[in-house]
Amino acid sequence: MHSRDKMTPLQRLTAYGRGQSIDRLPCVPIVGNTAARLIGAKVSAFRGDGKAIAEAQIAAYERFGYDVIRVFTDLYTQAEAMGAKVHYPENETAYLEAPAIEAIEQIGLLKPADPWKDGNLPQHLDAMKRVVSALGKEVAVTGALTGPFTTASFLIGTETLVRLSLKKPEAVHQLCEVAYQTSLAYAKAILEVGCVPSLTDAMSSSTVISPRQFREFSLPYLKRLVDFIHRNGRAVTLHICGKTHPIWTAMVETGADTLSLDNAASLQDAKRAVGHEVRLMGNVPPSEVMLEGTPASVRHEVRKCVRQAFDNPKGYVVASGCSLPVETPFANIDAMMDAVREIGWPVNPSDLEAA
Amino acid sequence: MPETLDTLAQSLSDAVVNMDEERTRELAIAVVDLGLNPLAAIERGLVDGMNRAGKLFETEEYFIPELLLCSDAMYAGLEVLRPHLPNASEVKKHKIVIGVVEGDTHDIGKNLVKILLDAAGYEVVDLGRDIEPKRFVETAIREGARVIALSTLMTTTMDAMADVVRLLAEGNLRDRFKVIVGGGPISQAFADRIGADGYAASAPAAVKLVQRLITEPA
Repeated sequence: MHSRDKMTPLQRLTAYGRGQSIDRLPCVPIVGNTAARLIGAKVSAFRGDGKAIAEAQIAAYERFGYDVIRVFTDLYTQAEAMGAKVHYPENETAYLEAPAIEAIEQIGLLKPADPWKDGNLPQHLDAMKRVVSALGKEVAVTGALTGPFTTASFLIGTETLVRLSLKKPEAVHQLCEVAYQTSLAYAKAILEVGCVPSLTDAMSSSTVISPRQFREFSLPYLKRLVDFIHRNGRAVTLHICGKTHPIWTAMVETGADTLSLDNAASLQDAKRAVGHEVRLMGNVPPSEVMLEGTPASVRHEVRKCVRQAFDNPKGYVVASGCSLPVETPFANIDAMMDAVREIGWPVNPSDLEAA
Repeated sequence: MPETLDTLAQSLSDAVVNMDEERTRELAIAVVDLGLNPLAAIERGLVDGMNRAGKLFETEEYFIPELLLCSDAMYAGLEVLRPHLPNASEVKKHKIVIGVVEGDTHDIGKNLVKILLDAAGYEVVDLGRDIEPKRFVETAIREGARVIALSTLMTTTMDAMADVVRLLAEGNLRDRFKVIVGGGPISQAFADRIGADGYAASAPAAVKLVQRLITEPA
């Protein structure tokens, strides 16, 4: 637990959920590959090494003291375990080199992944297990679970997938179903190692597909995953990047307990639209502010976010709008945490107006 | 009713907006068979349809899947009509070199910008994705381009955009080209910081930006 905090993250989140008094708002700068720098490693060291991922995530938590640890390196782990080719640059986040298949005739060749055997999933599970064993008593540990529609886009290629969504919807459903089977198996495994799956579904964004397509191709599969996690007694966060205002209601219909929103969305509008149904999380700009800003501009943005959402009926978690860029200055992450500590609890909106 | 250029152009435009690739191709063939003006059919039909699709995209009635299928229809029509353009009607177009910078393979955003620039009448040299900075510069020189358009979705590759601007400055070429940047993590502040000429937040905005930069005195 961080020396400047009075509660552990678990105590804080539990008390906050019960409407009891807390020391400050929960805060999550979403640290993914940035964690490598905490242990002096390159991002590529995470490939196939659960121990390195765990050590870095533990070191990052201990340095910054944020409220949720999320074991995450990139969005491709499930697709990779199903045959997609991923490129791992030395010190940058991995990216898709080639999808698993090239044509719809090959969809039948795809098999759901075995999270204990395929790709880098076993190493990610190993990392989660290590982090839970080290810190599970004081902080929530989640494992990133990529949404079926997003994984489907990596299986056949995004442009192909979105064209098919209008021309051959049944093929898209086949792809989403096999991606869902992988997600479900991985979600089970994540729960087994004592972690909570945290859903992330970049391609379901309204920056890419229409709200109607979200309802057809994303919502049903996300809902099945959320239902499964709920049956296991855990709450779920759903993160979707980019524009999401046209799908907030549909995102709530997935059953997710918290919506994590990108800075392309307005927290204030989200609060008015769905704040009585879900907790909100977001949305300090990861690139423009966290990467390129200064501690002063980070503080300013945090206060702006808090002003918009601290009174969200179902609660609010200060967070970055998306995973932080690898090179985000540590001083800016410290500044984000410190800004939330400075605001304290209960939040006094008139304090936020000044400075 | 006999098909006239006006009715065919309107039908072509509608077919593009309706994402109907087959119908667009058939109508384009009809233009050729009837000996009608192919350039007018492109401009008042295909391009008009793509512009309407771009507006529907801006107003969030169309999304990326719809825009891609509209462009498939537009390109199918262009494939039929282009060989019939008389050489004299080839007006000299401004060239734009576009690509996703090195370290990134997300190219849908870049592709949308390319499609809308094509429709707006520019000649687009598409380098593809994961392109090293010096290839942008070399290609822009070789092609005599006016604009270099750089795209990325990954923050880790943003420095490569700055490298393009730096390479131009080092070669005393900075004034010859307008450099524009775009993509998820990019902002106007970033564009200003690296010395780019402009930033656009969406594909339609990128076209407006290019139009403004090209008409602006150098």
